[in-house]
Amino acid sequence: MKKIWMGIGVVCAVSLVSCGGGGTEAPKADAGGGAAAPAAGGAGAVPDEANGATITGKVMFDGTAPKEKTIDMSAVPACTRAHANAPAKSEEVIVNDNKTVKYAFVWIKSGLPEGTTWKVPSTPVMLDQNGCMYKPHVIGIMAGQNIEVKNSDPTNHNIHPSPTVNQEWNESQPPGSEDKMKTFARQEVMIPVKCNVHNWMRSYIGVVSHPFFAVTGDDGSFTIKGLPPGTYTLEVWHEKYGTQDQTITVGAKESKTQDFTIKG
Amino acid sequence: MSDQDKDPVVHSSLSKQLFIWSALLVLSMAWGLYDEVYGTRPWKGYEARFEKLYSKYLANARLGETAFEKQIRSSAEYQKMDREMQAAEKAAMPEASAIDKKVNEDLVPKILALNDPFQIVRAHIGSLTYEIEVSKSESSKDSLRKEIEELKNEVQKVSIPGEPKPREMKFSEMDDQLKKWKDEKAQLLQKRVEIMKQATELRAKRDQYLSDRLPEASAETIGLVQNSLANFDIKIRQIHVKDVDLVDRCESCHLGTREPVTLTAAHMGGEAVFASHPDKELLKIHDPELFGCTPCHGGNGVALSSVEKAHGYNKYWLWPLHHKENIEAGCQQCHVKEIVTEDANTLNAGREIFRLRGCMGCHRYEGFDRETDEITSVSQQIRSLEQQKAEWIRDAGFDEQKANDPRTKDADARKLNLEANDLKVRSSGLDAKMEQLDMRSHELIREVKKVGPSLKEARMKLHKEWIPVWLKDPHAWREGTKMPTFRLDDGEIRAIGAFIWQSGLTGELPQQKPGDAEKGKEAFETRGCMACHSMEEGSKKFGGTFAANLSREGEKANYDYIVRWVHNPRQRTAPYCTFEKRDLSKADYDKHNLPYVFDLEHSKCPNDGHELQVQQMTPMPSLRLTEDEARDIATYLMTRKRDNATYANADYLDDPSLKNKGLGLVRNYGCAGCHEISGLEEEQRIGTELTKEGSKPIERLDFALLGHKAEDEGWETHKGFFEHKLQDPAIYDTGKEKAKQDRLKMPNFNFSKTEIDAVDTFLEGSVDASVPQRYFYAPTDQRQDIIDGWWVVRKYNCMGCHRVHVAQTTTFDTIPRYQDPDWKDQKPPTLIGEGARVRPDWLMHFLNNPALSENDTNRDGVRQYLKVRMPTFSFSDGEIRKLVRFFEALSSQAQPFIAEELEPLTDQERVMARQLFSSEGAPCLKCHMTGDPKHDVRATAPNFTVAKERLKPGWTKRWMLDPAMMSPGTAMPSGLFRHEDNRWVFAGPTPPSFNGYPKDHADLLVRYMFQFTPEELGRLRSAGAGN
Repeated sequence: MKKIWMGIGVVCAVSLVSCGGGGTEAPKADAGGGAAAPAAGGAGAVPDEANGATITGKVMFDGTAPKEKTIDMSAVPACTRAHANAPAKSEEVIVNDNKTVKYAFVWIKSGLPEGTTWKVPSTPVMLDQNGCMYKPHVIGIMAGQNIEVKNSDPTNHNIHPSPTVNQEWNESQPPGSEDKMKTFARQEVMIPVKCNVHNWMRSYIGVVSHPFFAVTGDDGSFTIKGLPPGTYTLEVWHEKYGTQDQTITVGAKESKTQDFTIKG
Repeated sequence: MSDQDKDPVVHSSLSKQLFIWSALLVLSMAWGLYDEVYGTRPWKGYEARFEKLYSKYLANARLGETAFEKQIRSSAEYQKMDREMQAAEKAAMPEASAIDKKVNEDLVPKILALNDPFQIVRAHIGSLTYEIEVSKSESSKDSLRKEIEELKNEVQKVSIPGEPKPREMKFSEMDDQLKKWKDEKAQLLQKRVEIMKQATELRAKRDQYLSDRLPEASAETIGLVQNSLANFDIKIRQIHVKDVDLVDRCESCHLGTREPVTLTAAHMGGEAVFASHPDKELLKIHDPELFGCTPCHGGNGVALSSVEKAHGYNKYWLWPLHHKENIEAGCQQCHVKEIVTEDANTLNAGREIFRLRGCMGCHRYEGFDRETDEITSVSQQIRSLEQQKAEWIRDAGFDEQKANDPRTKDADARKLNLEANDLKVRSSGLDAKMEQLDMRSHELIREVKKVGPSLKEARMKLHKEWIPVWLKDPHAWREGTKMPTFRLDDGEIRAIGAFIWQSGLTGELPQQKPGDAEKGKEAFETRGCMACHSMEEGSKKFGGTFAANLSREGEKANYDYIVRWVHNPRQRTAPYCTFEKRDLSKADYDKHNLPYVFDLEHSKCPNDGHELQVQQMTPMPSLRLTEDEARDIATYLMTRKRDNATYANADYLDDPSLKNKGLGLVRNYGCAGCHEISGLEEEQRIGTELTKEGSKPIERLDFALLGHKAEDEGWETHKGFFEHKLQDPAIYDTGKEKAKQDRLKMPNFNFSKTEIDAVDTFLEGSVDASVPQRYFYAPTDQRQDIIDGWWVVRKYNCMGCHRVHVAQTTTFDTIPRYQDPDWKDQKPPTLIGEGARVRPDWLMHFLNNPALSENDTNRDGVRQYLKVRMPTFSFSDGEIRKLVRFFEALSSQAQPFIAEELEPLTDQERVMARQLFSSEGAPCLKCHMTGDPKHDVRATAPNFTVAKERLKPGWTKRWMLDPAMMSPGTAMPSGLFRHEDNRWVFAGPTPPSFNGYPKDHADLLVRYMFQFTPEELGRLRSAGAGN
């Protein structure tokens, strides 16, 4: 019975449809894959410092500042010589005279408009191996921005970042050799860097996909300029004390202060 | 009414009936036509849709691709290559076209003109020669020969193009001339290739540049596909493998499977049926033209009439299509000898569960019980060799007897004596063979392991009160444990507990002083224990899954015993004699005035000389810890307990009346499949053999009362049976009236969905193969070593510490502590490429003695700077051989190993290398050990002074040049050398002695390291190396 009805259906269908050959669809150009990675010096948005918002603040330290550890470089005379006057100190925790913290990394963790590609600065950020220490101890760069790795020491270093989402590399840099230009393609806060030859050497690189980040200095302050109006998660990262978040809403041309306090 | 009116022909019309019937006829014809064209041929619809969707996709893809391709083509680099290629082509063109002209306009017409008359005569001569061969009379042969001579001498007129008058030529002249022209032509063409070589190479380079940068198909490929699609036919597409009578028509619907353009469901309007095969590499190894589709995937390859039938989902088809989560089941039938099959992770997980969780304790599966099977086979071989030898010796005796008989002739006697000697020599060869087998049979006892701990030791190791709690529900006490939950009532638990307790050995344990728990924790977390064991519970759990979680060890075990266990897990309380089938006591040794000592060096039974089991049958190795460190770790483990844990008194375990009932239950539940138990050492398996379970006829799988339910719910299949059984092993007892001892015995393993998928994949693949033997993966080359090696690698969980192959992580990769960059360098070394790195003789030595020292065993032989330590596994020689061959095979190393000869160092070179090694600019000895304890305190890399015993020079050079290539993330930096004038030179400042040195610096350092002497070490140290 079912087949008979199918048969009838077919006859009806045949009588209705004059002939096959549907309309041809015009090919559409495919928009292509995801957003391309920003290229250094390429096109992209630039923070609007005239009309954007500004967030400033300090990273305060609460508690007794830990004693700065002395680094034992005695195994390597070339390193010891660089610190003939005073022994080198670990830069893991540096509390400034005004009770603020040096080398804290502050950045906009989320809240920026989706889909904006930010212009990558064409100037590199210097990471110097000087006196068998990394100078500076913490740097921030944009994804795709060059890091200029320099060896100012009379000894061989190797520079070995251990990222988790970027590719890891480990390259030797003999004394007197050319500076190396290196980039990281993806956002990653933070990438630890070490030297396998001098195991006390440690530095951190914050790689951010936008230009809204800062590293605190001798006064423990930071400034982030040119933010589009919006609500943001602002994060501070510290090597020893981990991370803290704050939510902050800013309007156009508005200046706000947002301090952090790290408990020692 | 006239008569006419009465005539039915006049007054009753049939036209209505006729109309209806003819309408029905038309309809049924239409239906018939429909059925013929589409109804029973659904694949036609698929093909039509495929063509439409594919064309649409290609048109789009081409637009996208061309834009990207254009970008590459217009890049400076591509343009440069293109120009170079064009220039080369242009430069070569005049000469090439001259050759073309000569060949095409001169030689070819000449050859053609001469060829015809020449062939006619040659054919004629040929036929006459044949006649000579078949003719019988000599006279006719002679006349034929004469005829051939005449033919050869006959002059032919041949007009050659380009020559004014025809040439007059004999046969031999034509032959010579033709050969000359043909040679000339060949030479010219060869010359043309030479001339064009540069242009051809440049063109290939340019095209390679393009294809290297296009991740997807190029516009050119798409264009080709589009052209072929223009001729798309709607037809059955089938693979026919003639010699095995395999017909697979899967591609009649799955049209995208082998398309050169990679298709996904998203590309094809969401129709997954048209997607390309997801693994093109796999298809390269298993070419569908040879393998078809169904041997791997299952299904009914011939059927086309419906999706259900084609996929083999009708009831009695024994090889239904594997579901996506079990897709790797198809690998098992041919890769049945493997424990690890590359790229088949689900299947590998299934096999591993089957082995590690103890399924094989109850279920036989061919190939899984390797050691026991080999013991049987070795003793059989020895017996048959003994017989053979006896036969040969007897025959030799007969021969000699006969030879000595005075009636035997001298010649025969000599022959018989020779024969006798041959037999003697051959039987001495059997002695060598038997000796090998005998050694093997002894070491095999060492290789047999049990899944669970020995219950002979229960009394010494465990708290009595803990045993019933554990037996009741092991998973409730320790989440994820290997021990499954049996369906036991309290009476059974008491009886089993009592049997185990009372049959346990009561040896003496030295009383241990307490250790330092904090140090123990550090050691536990860094020495390597965590490669196999995990700590903490729930979401906080971390560490390996190979062995037990030890978060509650303090609740169950005795401290003194754990100290012994940590110090040497293989130490037994009493040796077991495989011949007498019992544990020996001190009395057995006293009888023979022997000390009660049993270890790998003292492994013979004092009573009968048979091989003893002198070790615990655990894969757990010794970390060669000091007793202090063992005490620290044990002390730490004793602190691992829940605060509020209480255990009820269990003194009933000493009740002798329970023991016999317990024994019966232990037998009934097959406990001896996984545990060593006194008196049950030789117990047989209690479960069904599962080697071919996947193709057991469905009616022989006992769904019991659930048959109808399974049918209604659509799981009356092998997959359905396995999954339900694994989920709830008691399920097929549902509704059954059974006596307790008749109930299904399989315990509950608390498998997760992923684990069930894995085991189901393994079982579904365990079939009576539908393909002939030659499809089976049974390599006869080095790949067999890889198969054998994996069994050993898995058995001892080498992969808990080491990366053995790419796309694998180790336990250390997951432990939080080891995420820190400094701890990353504390991970055990990767073993990818190990066979190319180390010498096999060294590796053998190292596996046997990882401390590389007989006296100083509290260390790692190679990397003393690591906290983690390569343990001593007490491998048998057979296992060591398998491991070494495994690594050699993985790196395609020739066997047997022959060390490479290096060019000797000159004195000058030795001085140069030493200066470089000890210079400020070279970092080598800042990290690498030198064997000088003062220096090595700070070392973070292997001892380079033993490189020559350990490493292969070729590997060493490749490693120095680019270590990140072999081991991404290694502490050894790249960029130590730069390539300059076809050689590698050190990238840093070199000592002045290097000025004018023309050779390769990396080679120099390798040669230095491989010709290193103790005297040179002294010189290097006094040069202040490494400071």
